[in-house]
This record gives sequence, C-alpha cells and structure tokens, in this order.
Amino acid sequence: MSTYNVVIIGSGPGGYVAAIRCAQLGLKTAIIEKYDTLGGTCLNVGCIPSKALLDSSEHFHKAEKEFGEHGIQTGKLTVDLNQMIKRKDDVVDQTCKGVAFLMKKNKIDVYYGIGSFKDKETISIHGKEGKKEEIKAEKVIIATGSKPVIIPGIEYDKKRVITSTEALKLKEIPNHLIIIGGGVIGLELGSVYARLGSKITVVEFADRLISGMDSTLSKELQKVLKKLGFDFHFKTKVNSAKTKGNKVILTASNSKGENISLEGDYCLIAVGRKAYTEGLGLENVGIETDDRGKINIDENLQTKVPGIYAIGDVVKGAMLAHKAEEEGIFVAETIAGQKPHINYNLIPGVVYTWPEVASVGYTEEQLKEKSVNYKVGSFPIRALGRARASMDIDGLIKVLADKKTDEILGVHMIGPRVADLIAEAVVAMEYRASAEDVARMSHAHPTYTEAMKEACLAATENRALHL
Amino acid sequence: MHFEVKIPPVGESITEVTISSWKKNNGDFVEQDEIICEVDSDKTSFEIPAEKAGKLNILKQEDETVEVGTIVCTIDTESTNNTPSSQSENKNEDHEESDSPDEVHKTGEIIEIVVPEVGESITEVTIAEWTKENGSFVEKDEIICEIDSDKATFELPSDATGILQIIAQSGDTVKVGDVVCKIEVGSSTSKPKESQSSSSKTAPETKRSNESYVKGHPSPAANKILNEKGISPSEVKGSGVDGRITKEDALKASKSQKEEKKGVSEETGDNNRSSRREKITNLRKTISKRLVSVKNETAMLTTFNEVNMKPIMDVRKKYKDQFKEKYEVGLGFMSFFTKACCIALKEWPAVNAYLDENEIEYHDYCDISIAVSTPKGLVVPVIRNAEKLSFQGIESEIIRLAGKARDGKLTIPEMTGGTFTITNGGVFGSMMSTPIINPPQSAILGMHNIVQRPFAENGEVVIRPIMFVALSYDHRIIDGRESVSFLVRVKQLLEDPMRLLLNV
Ligand SMILES: Cc1cc2nc3c(=O)[nH]c(=O)nc-3n(C[C@H](O)[C@H](O)[C@H](O)COP(=O)(O)OP(=O)(O)OC[C@H]3O[C@@H](n4cnc5c(N)ncnc54)[C@H](O)[C@@H]3O)c2cc1C
Repeated sequence: MSTYNVVIIGSGPGGYVAAIRCAQLGLKTAIIEKYDTLGGTCLNVGCIPSKALLDSSEHFHKAEKEFGEHGIQTGKLTVDLNQMIKRKDDVVDQTCKGVAFLMKKNKIDVYYGIGSFKDKETISIHGKEGKKEEIKAEKVIIATGSKPVIIPGIEYDKKRVITSTEALKLKEIPNHLIIIGGGVIGLELGSVYARLGSKITVVEFADRLISGMDSTLSKELQKVLKKLGFDFHFKTKVNSAKTKGNKVILTASNSKGENISLEGDYCLIAVGRKAYTEGLGLENVGIETDDRGKINIDENLQTKVPGIYAIGDVVKGAMLAHKAEEEGIFVAETIAGQKPHINYNLIPGVVYTWPEVASVGYTEEQLKEKSVNYKVGSFPIRALGRARASMDIDGLIKVLADKKTDEILGVHMIGPRVADLIAEAVVAMEYRASAEDVARMSHAHPTYTEAMKEACLAATENRALHL
Repeated sequence: MHFEVKIPPVGESITEVTISSWKKNNGDFVEQDEIICEVDSDKTSFEIPAEKAGKLNILKQEDETVEVGTIVCTIDTESTNNTPSSQSENKNEDHEESDSPDEVHKTGEIIEIVVPEVGESITEVTIAEWTKENGSFVEKDEIICEIDSDKATFELPSDATGILQIIAQSGDTVKVGDVVCKIEVGSSTSKPKESQSSSSKTAPETKRSNESYVKGHPSPAANKILNEKGISPSEVKGSGVDGRITKEDALKASKSQKEEKKGVSEETGDNNRSSRREKITNLRKTISKRLVSVKNETAMLTTFNEVNMKPIMDVRKKYKDQFKEKYEVGLGFMSFFTKACCIALKEWPAVNAYLDENEIEYHDYCDISIAVSTPKGLVVPVIRNAEKLSFQGIESEIIRLAGKARDGKLTIPEMTGGTFTITNGGVFGSMMSTPIINPPQSAILGMHNIVQRPFAENGEVVIRPIMFVALSYDHRIIDGRESVSFLVRVKQLLEDPMRLLLNV
C-alpha cells in the first residue's frame, strides 16, 4: 500500500493548488479525483467555461450593437452555438490538461476514483469498473467542493429545468430563459444568452441583485442588464418550476402576496451551491458537517480530527476559486510547519458580466452597521478618455475611506475589466494604504485604472481632476 | 562625536561589496535607522541604515568596491537638526507612568555621559540594558544603565539630575569614551504647565501625534515571517512608509530575550524546526577569541593522575561540623586543592610563571584563579596570596568571589592577575577533561568528579573514592618533568593531608 505525507481529496483549485504547494515543500503528495479530468468545478463546469462563453457572446454582442458605430459593416450576423460550445470545450480541455501536466511536473501521484475515509490514515479509492485501492496518508486535505442547490418544488430534469452545468452546453439559444436567483452565476450565464438574443427574466428573493455586494453595484448592474433586455422580479419567492413539453412553467409569490406565473422555454436554477461531502466517509473518522453541510474547521483549517484539513467550497467562507487556492496554500504550508495567514476581508469578489463587477473590503452597508465614520469617493467610468475610445462607458469606481485616517476600507467597482483592476485595491489594502496614497501614485494614461486614482482623489478631499 | 558606519558582515564568504547608491547626500542630516546607502554583494543587495542621527559625511563613493568592515561614512552626532530630536525614535509606550519630563525645571545645560574607563585592555563595551527610559527624569547618581564588558557587567550612574536622552541603544557596542546618553539638567518641580512650553520640543509628544495608524502594520510576507518567528508586530520597528513593517524588517527581527525562553518551551513536541540567531555578548566574544588564541599560540598539553580522596573525605567527615561552627563556612575540597597547589607551585616555580616573549616572569606568591560558571559564561576571580591563607581564609574567599560572580558584580581587578588556575568540572559530572590555560598563565589544574572505583591498596582490591586530576600546561616553559612532578606532588599532598600541615 502506498504511503504519502499528504493525500488530497478533490482536484479543484483548492485541491490541486494545495498539492503543488505540498510538493514544492518536499512532501510526498497524492491527489484523488472522482471525475476523469482534473480541475474541479472551476475548470470543468465553472469559472473557465463560463468565461469562455461570456467572451464569445460579448464579441457577438459588440459586433451586432457597436461595430456599426465603429465603422465596421458586418452584414447579417449569425451565431453558431455548437462552435461556441466546442471552443469552450477546447479551452476547458487545454486547461485541465495543464493541471495534469502540473501534477506530473511536481511528481504528484494522481488517483482517479471516489476517495473515502476508511480510517484516519487510510483512504480507499473506488475507481471505474469496480477497481478499488487503498492508500495511507499522514495528513489529509479535503477539497471536495460544492454542488448546485436545488430548492424544493423545482423539478430539476437537466433538460429544461437546469443548473449552470447544463447551461454551459445548451444545444439551442433559449427564447425565454427564466433564472431563479440574481447572484453571480445566474447573471453571468443570463448575460451569455441575453447577448445571443434570449429574453431573460430573473426571479430573486432579495430586494436587489448580487445582494452580498455593495448596493451601489447592485443598482448599477441592474441598470446595464436592463439595457441588455433583462426583466427582474424582486422579493419574489419561487414555489415551483417544471417542464411541460417545450415549455417551463414557474410559479412564485411576490411581496404583495400575489401569485405569479411565468412561462419560458428554459429555467436556470442559480440559487447557490452547497458543500459536497457525499461518499467521503466522514462518518468513519467522526467529522461532522454544519446545518448547511459544510465541514467544521478551526483557525488552521483543521477539522476536529488532527491531521485532517478541509478547504475551499466545502468549508465556510466565500465560494470562490481564489479563496480555495489561498486555503490550499495555507494548509500546505501549515502542514510543513510554517505559519501563513489569510486576510479573508481582502479576498475580492468578482462578477464577469459586462461591464464587470468587482469589490474588496467593507461595503457601505457593513461600515454603517459597524458605525465606522467613512467618506466616499466615486468616479464614473464615462469620464475616462479610455472609456470613450472603447465605447465602454458604463460603471463607476467607489472608494470608501476612514474619515479620520484616510485608510481605504472598501473599493467597489463596476466597469470594463474591473475584475483585473481590483488587484490594485487588494494590494493597496494589504498595505493599508490611504486614499491619498493611491491618488499620489502615477496611473498610466489613458487607462481604466485612472478611475481608481480619480476615485481616491475624490475620497481624499473631493478633488477628482476630470469631473 | 563622529560615529563611524562600517560595512557589516553580510554572510559567509562575502568579503567585499560595492556601493550601489547613496540615498542621502553628503552633509545631509540623517535620522537614526534611516536608510542611507544601498550596497551590492555578489549574493544580494542590502541597505545600510544610519546607526545614529546626525550629519552625514560620505567617505566612499558610489561604485567603489570596499571590504567588509570598511568605514564608508561617518555621522556627526553633535550636529543639530531642526526636526524633533532624534531620540524620539525610540518611543516609550508607557512613558506616562514614569516621571513626566513636563514637570522638570530645566536649566538649559546638557551633560553628556560617556562610557567610563573600566579597566586596562577594555576598549569597548555593550549596552546591556537601560534601566531608565528615554525622556524620564533621573536623579544624580541614580543607576541609568547596565553595561557588559568582556570581563564584567557594571552599572552606569547618572552624573546629573535631569531628563535622560538615550543615544546608544541596548545591544549597541560602544567604545570607552563614547557618549551613551545626555542629561538635560534640571530639577523636578511641581508647578507643571509653565515649563511645558519650553519643553514643547520634547520628542515623544510631537512624535506621537504624527504617528500613523499604519505604524507597525506588517506586509503579507512580513506577517508570515513574524508569525513563524513568534514575534508580535508590536515588537518590530517598521522601516517602511509611515512605519510599515517590510519583509526585510521581519527577516531581520529577533525575539526579545524574555520572550524567547517562553517560545522554546511552547514549541517543543510540535516538531519545531525553527532556529534562532542571537548577537553574542562581549564576554562570549572574548572567551572565544582567547580560547582559540591559546590553542594556537601555546604548546599546550595535559598530564593526568588520580587521587584517592578517602583521606580527605575522612578529615572532612570528622571536622566538618566543628569547622562550620567555628568559621561559619563549610569545609570543602577546594581549600585542600588550593593549599596543595600552593605548596607544589613553590616547589615547581615554572608552573606558576608567565612567559613574556623573551623573558619568564616567576612569581613568589600564589594568586589562584578559580573558575566559576555564571549564566553569562565562565569567569575566573582570583584568590590573592592563597599560599598565606588558612583553610578557613580560602573557603570564605571562594564563597565571597563566587557570590559576586553569580550576581555579575565582580570588578575587573578581582579577575585579573592570577598566576595559576583551578577549575572544577566535577561539579557538572565530568570524569576527565583537558582544561585550557588561562593566559598569560602557564598551567591549569582540572578537578573532576569523585567516583567509587576498585583500587589496589597493599596488594588488595578495595573500593575507594577516586578523582582524576589533569594539569594542562604550556610546554614552552614547563618541561614534562616539572609538570608531571607538580601533579604527582599535588596527589601526594591530597592523599595524605597531614603533609599539608607539616609542609613535607
Ligand atoms: C458556473 C460557475 C462559475 C464560476 N465562476 C467563478 C469565477 O469566475 N471565479 C471564481 O472565483 N469562482 C467561480 N466559481 C466558483 C468556483 O468554481 C469554486 O469556488 C471553486 O471551484 C471551489 O474550488 P474547490 O477546490 O473548493 O472545489 P471544486 O472546484 O468544486 O472541486 C472539488 C473536486 O472534488 C471532487 N470530489 C468531490 N468528492 C470527491 C471524492 N469523494 N473523491 C474524489 N474526488 C471528489 C469533485 O469531483 C471536484 O472535481 C464558479 C462556479 C460555477 C458553478
């Protein structure tokens, strides 16, 4: 039986990054994945394929709506959805192979099959066609990720009532796609099909979109999605959804207590994801999950069983690939005797609509709740030369800073490429920079990043230059 | 005063470095710890901070290649600056509770306190600890500082009454005659507010109000390093913008000594693989230098013998209580050994001599150095004219000196001038050793533990308490015959203590 210093269950961004870091630290490492390809949700049915389709559909949208203005005549445009999906599959395929290569390069043993605890040190792996083996581990990292949540009353049939996984490989462009949930995944996939011509209706229980983020972003995002043809029902609770022939019928009740009924040809369930621990045999080692199925961990991300750690979507915290990666590194280094640290408040949240949405640190709502005295500096994207040149004029950057010390407490962005821009805010905040610090740093002209500088100037003493 | 800034040793095998850039101009006023120069070695580049505040005088130019230890600039610490005084840098978190400087009636006079002459051959000392805080009010003759030299620790009293301004920091090595602090002369009064305006330039206050919220905030990498070292960011002085702790600050940080002991016991058992670096004390530095030079510069070798301790033990057993009652000190083995050595030294004067280049200095007296181990290292106080002392005289002198040694209170004269050394490794359980000569002496006697061993006596095997003894000696002036005879004579005297009395 092979013995390892560390065995990792699950090869998503949490698991495979942990494996690489363990190997870098000289630990003999193995990783177990139940599917045939490595990379987990993120690479196979999450971040990467959704971005591939978002980019393709945005090209189409631009060609259709903006090329004329640029002086490019296209004639009649058509969408080859099969090709779009195939290109996406190729991107996924290359990325997953990249992970397999990294495993090989770092001499990490990869086992395909369902990993489950036999006891604290023994993991059994149930492979395909009844193949079964066992390996020994000094330390185990659980990185089994998450699965979509299906709410009661909804008949998930994978054909017309679907989750993100199916939405990434539809055979046709829906006429009317109803999306349950106004969160990140729903709005991203909704954007894909809206750009390709679908009518989109979002049914959301809360009173705004992306409800965890700063409400300014919700408002701005709602505006731009409305322009794209989105319809919204807020404070509305879905009661049922089911396929009837070529249609999907959805019933819901709104805040006034009225029952409404919607009819579309597809319904995407995007109400969140839940931790996934099925088949893991947690009961054999005495690890428990909380009421939402997440594995309980301590501040070192260790479960109550010493030597067994858990990271990523399967534990508390934001369900984001980069959060899972940081945790993977954290646990690997902790196992190697180092003392790393994660600043959870500075893990950025990102939505890849167009314009993109990105945010880090405290929202205005949180600062109010904590009764922190703060000031706001805001700068609209449309005031940038770069934005007018590219015709991407929607959005703004909002900087929240401590009233007394000028320390940046939160940065909230909606605009072109802000998913990339947010990194500047993270760096500034890791070093606890003040708004004026950033305002005094040179930002290349013309770029979208100038909005960050201007928002910081605005926060400093309300002295934005180009407003 | 001109303070010299040298290229510090940066790593094994690096002997020279190149000055890549001066961050400050010649003649600039620099603050303590401000980075003044960037230097490249073939392995890395590093920065040189100003060790003192003052006016910069650059001696080596950019692109010059210089050896480690070269003086690259001097800092004129006398030169004044118009910014708040540089001493403000060493902030005192709890300075409120000490006598507030605001209530001091100043005369305007400033007195400098320098490192006093502490003994021949001592040219530099290390500031062990300031017992008074910067900015606090001190009385004349009050102890303000503890100083380590390579021979002893001594205390520095204040020469005046007034406010203390510390210049040399704990851990700094300073030369005899260097200014370590200033006293702003003044008397303590109880009418506070008037004098406040005159003291408005008092550093800690202005500094405090300027202090940024970010002071002491570690960068992500610095944070991890500090966690691993078990150091809290509050113990580290940040050199980054507004006092941020940079990765380099964290790499250089070391734990304060008190914390360390705690850390070690906490970590054990957890597969701890961390290591620590500590600056060695002057005492340790001197010990190491001396030991190596003795090994290199003398022709040292060791002769052994064994001593049947039964006769002495019998004597002790018999008279121990009476002795104690009469003299109020215990009757130990040391007095027997000291007496025996004194007699033998008289008979073999080379063992009691110094070699001084072309001359041999013989001593007609026996000043016996006794090695005493203390928390800071080994010290060797001297029993003067041991040959004249009674058993009781020797025992009480040893007790007195050992006590002072443990308290770090020995003076330099009390530790210099011995003609022969006795060291007792037996107290730690050593069975046999080859002690190293204590220069300029020529020989040392090593005592060891007493063990019950089978022993042939009158053709029969009996069990006797046996001690092995060793004599290391400098073969350049002591011949084999002398050294061996000396040790045999010591053995003879110890095995038949009557001889000590009769001197036969
Ligand atoms: C449509 C979509 C878009 C997304 N877009 C983004 C984005 O743009 N940015 C972002 O940061 N995040 C995004 N996410 C979220 C992101 O995918 C997750 O946060 C991330 O994948 C979590 O990583 P993980 O390593 O914890 O788990 P996962 O990526 O879920 O990986 C877990 C792996 O463990 C395997 N596994 C489970 N149980 C076992 C077992 N018993 N034995 C062996 N293997 C097992 C699973 O098969 C899976 O491969 C998106 C998610 C979705 C669904």
